[in-house]
Amino acid sequence: MVDKEELFKKMQEAIYNYDKDLAVKLAKEAIEAGIDPLEAIEKGFAVAIRELGEKFDRMEIFLPELIMGADAMKAAVDILKEEIVRRGQKVEKKGVVVIGTVEGDIHDIGKTIVIAMLQSAGFDVYDLGKDVPIPRFLQAAEEVNADIIAASALLTTTMMKQRDLIEYLKSQGKRDKYFVIVGGAPCSQKWADEIGADGYARDAIEAVKLCERLMEQKKKKGA
Amino acid sequence: MVNFIEVARRAETGPMIAEEDFDMKKIAMKLRELRKELDIKFDPNEPVNTDLTLADDLWDLGLRFFLETGIYCVNTRRLMLFEENEVKHALKNVRDRLEIGEGKDRRVLYPRGIEDSTPPIIFGGPFNCDVTEEVFVPMNEAYAREEIIDVLFLPGYLKKMYGLEIRPTSGLSPQTVILYAKWTREALSRAGRPGMPVVAHALMGMHEIGVSNEEWGLRKTDPRAIVMLPELKIDDVSLVRLGYYIATGPPIYIAFTPLVGGFAGDPVTVAIVSVAEHIAAVMLNGDIIHLGPQHIKYKSQTNIHSLWVASRVKQAVSKNSKMIHTTSHTTAGRPGSKQFAYEFAALEIAVVTAGSHVSGPRPADLKYDNHNSPLMARLFGEIAHAAAKIKLETANEIVLELYKKYKDKLDFQVSPVGKPFEELYDLDTLQPKPEHLKEYEEVKRELEELGLEL
Repeated sequence: MVDKEELFKKMQEAIYNYDKDLAVKLAKEAIEAGIDPLEAIEKGFAVAIRELGEKFDRMEIFLPELIMGADAMKAAVDILKEEIVRRGQKVEKKGVVVIGTVEGDIHDIGKTIVIAMLQSAGFDVYDLGKDVPIPRFLQAAEEVNADIIAASALLTTTMMKQRDLIEYLKSQGKRDKYFVIVGGAPCSQKWADEIGADGYARDAIEAVKLCERLMEQKKKKGA
Repeated sequence: MVNFIEVARRAETGPMIAEEDFDMKKIAMKLRELRKELDIKFDPNEPVNTDLTLADDLWDLGLRFFLETGIYCVNTRRLMLFEENEVKHALKNVRDRLEIGEGKDRRVLYPRGIEDSTPPIIFGGPFNCDVTEEVFVPMNEAYAREEIIDVLFLPGYLKKMYGLEIRPTSGLSPQTVILYAKWTREALSRAGRPGMPVVAHALMGMHEIGVSNEEWGLRKTDPRAIVMLPELKIDDVSLVRLGYYIATGPPIYIAFTPLVGGFAGDPVTVAIVSVAEHIAAVMLNGDIIHLGPQHIKYKSQTNIHSLWVASRVKQAVSKNSKMIHTTSHTTAGRPGSKQFAYEFAALEIAVVTAGSHVSGPRPADLKYDNHNSPLMARLFGEIAHAAAKIKLETANEIVLELYKKYKDKLDFQVSPVGKPFEELYDLDTLQPKPEHLKEYEEVKRELEELGLEL
C-alpha cells in the first residue's frame, strides 16, 4: 500500500532536486497506486514549484534551477494529465498564453522566467521565441485557441512593436478575442494604457498575477 | 590576435547548437561544475575583495571556461571557438596603449592595476538615456563642458523624430543617425572641446556605419560601442558593425552585461563568466572592454551582488592581463536624488581600486526622457579620481557605509524618481540649478566624511 502523503513528499523532493526522471517515475507510481492525479499535482508537484518560484524571487535559487524545476514539473504533469483524461476527469484549465519577444528584439531572458513561472502556475504556455513577426502572434493564438497574447520588448527601439501588435489585431478584427499583455524593461503601465493593452507586468510574479486576474475576468464575463 | 575575417568565418562554420542548450549546458551546467574548484562564497560584508590570490584563481577558471564555451552567434546558432594558443596570443598582443580623440582633447588610455593611483579615464555622458530632439545638443554640450570627463559616453538615444518613434529599420533611421552624429559634433564644438572623443552607439542597427565621417560625423578616433548579449552571445548586427569598424579603423568598445540570477547563476559563477566575457571581447578585437555587472532581480548594477562580482572580476582582469577595461554604472536611484550618487560612488570605489576605468552613470529605470545630469557625471569623475588614492580595505569600508544608505531602496518602485535634465539645469546658461548644486555639495561633504579626498 503506497503512503500517499509520503509519495507527495517525494514528488516535492524531486522538484526541489530538479530531478525530471524521478518526477516522471513518481507520477507513474501515483497512477499505478490509483491516486487521484489532480490531487497528486496539487499536493505533490505544485507545492514544490510554488516554493521554487518564491525562492527565485528571494534569489536563493537562480534561473537555471527555476527552469529545471519547471521542466521536471511539466514532464510529470504531462503524465498525470493523460490519466486525468483517461479517467474522464475535468482539468480546469488555468489559461492558454502565447508569448514572444517582438520583431527586431533578440532579448529573451525575462521572457524565459515569465514562461517558467506561468507554467508553474498551471498555464499552458506557447513560446514563439524572439524576433517574432507581428502576424505570427495572431496565427499562433488562433492555432492554440489562446486566451492571452504576451509580447515582450527589451529595447526602446522595439517597444513600438507592442503597439503595432494591438493595431494589427484590430485590423484583423481580433482585438477583442484575446487579452494582450506587455512587459520588458522600457515598458510601464502608462505605456500599456497608451497603446490599449490589457495589462503590464514588471516581473514574472506580477505576470502570473496579471494572467490570473485576466482569466478571472474572462470567467466572470462568460458566466 | 585572430584576424576578424577568421572570427566572422567561425560564426558561419562553427559547431551548431540550439540556444537553449547553449544557455543550460554550456553556460549554466558548466559553470556549476567549475565553481567547485573555487573556494569562495559570496560575502555581503566584503563587497571589495582584499584577498588577491582569488584574482588569479578566478582568471584561470574564466579562461578555461571561455576555451570550452566560446562565443555563441544567436543568428547562425553556431559556436565561435578559439584555441588556447590563439587566446594567449591575443591576450599577449592586446593594445595596452590607445589614443582616442583629437588635438588637445586627445586622451591616451592605459591599463590600470589594482590599487593603482593613476586616475582612471572618465567616460561620462547621457549613457544612451532617451534624449529628446530639442535637448540633445544642450545636454551633450553640458557634459562636454565638464572638464573632468575625458570621453563623451553614448550621447543619447533619439527616440522620437518628426513626431514619430524611430525604428532602426525605418526609412527615418538614416536621417536620425546622421543628426545624432552631427549634433554630437556640434555639442563638442559649442563646449569648446571639438576633439573630445565620443563613444558612440545610436541604436540604429547597421545604419550607424553610414555616419563615419571626419568632417561632420563619427571620426576614426571615436570608439564605436558594440554590445554582446548575456552570456557570451553576439548577434549578426553587432558582427556586421564590428566587421565594418575593424575594416575602417576606429577603436572598438565592447560591452557586455553578465546577469546575476540569470543563466550564469549566483555571484560566484557570474564572476567566472564575467572574466570569460572580457576574454571574449578581446577575441572580437575589442580595444576597450566594458563590464556592466547586471542583476536579474534588481535590474541595476549597484546591488551587493553586483558590487561583489565587479570588484573581483576587475581585480582578476587587471592582475592577469593588460586589457584597457572599464565598468558601467546603472543605478536604482535617479538623478536629482542623493541616492543616485551614493550608488554610483559605491560601485566606482569597488572597481577603480580594482584597476578599472569608469563609464556612466545612468539610472537603470528611466522615468523620463533626458533623465541624466552632467553635474552628477562631474561628481562621478571626482569620486573616481579620489578612489584611485585609496586601498582595498578602506574601499571596502566606504562601500559598506554607502550601501547602507540605499540598500532598502533598490526596488524601482521605491527608489527616488528624480528629475530630468531640463528640471535640474537652467537651459539658458547650461548651469545646474541651485538646488541641484546644493545636493552635489552635500553628497561631496558626506563622501569626504567617509574618507574620500575629493
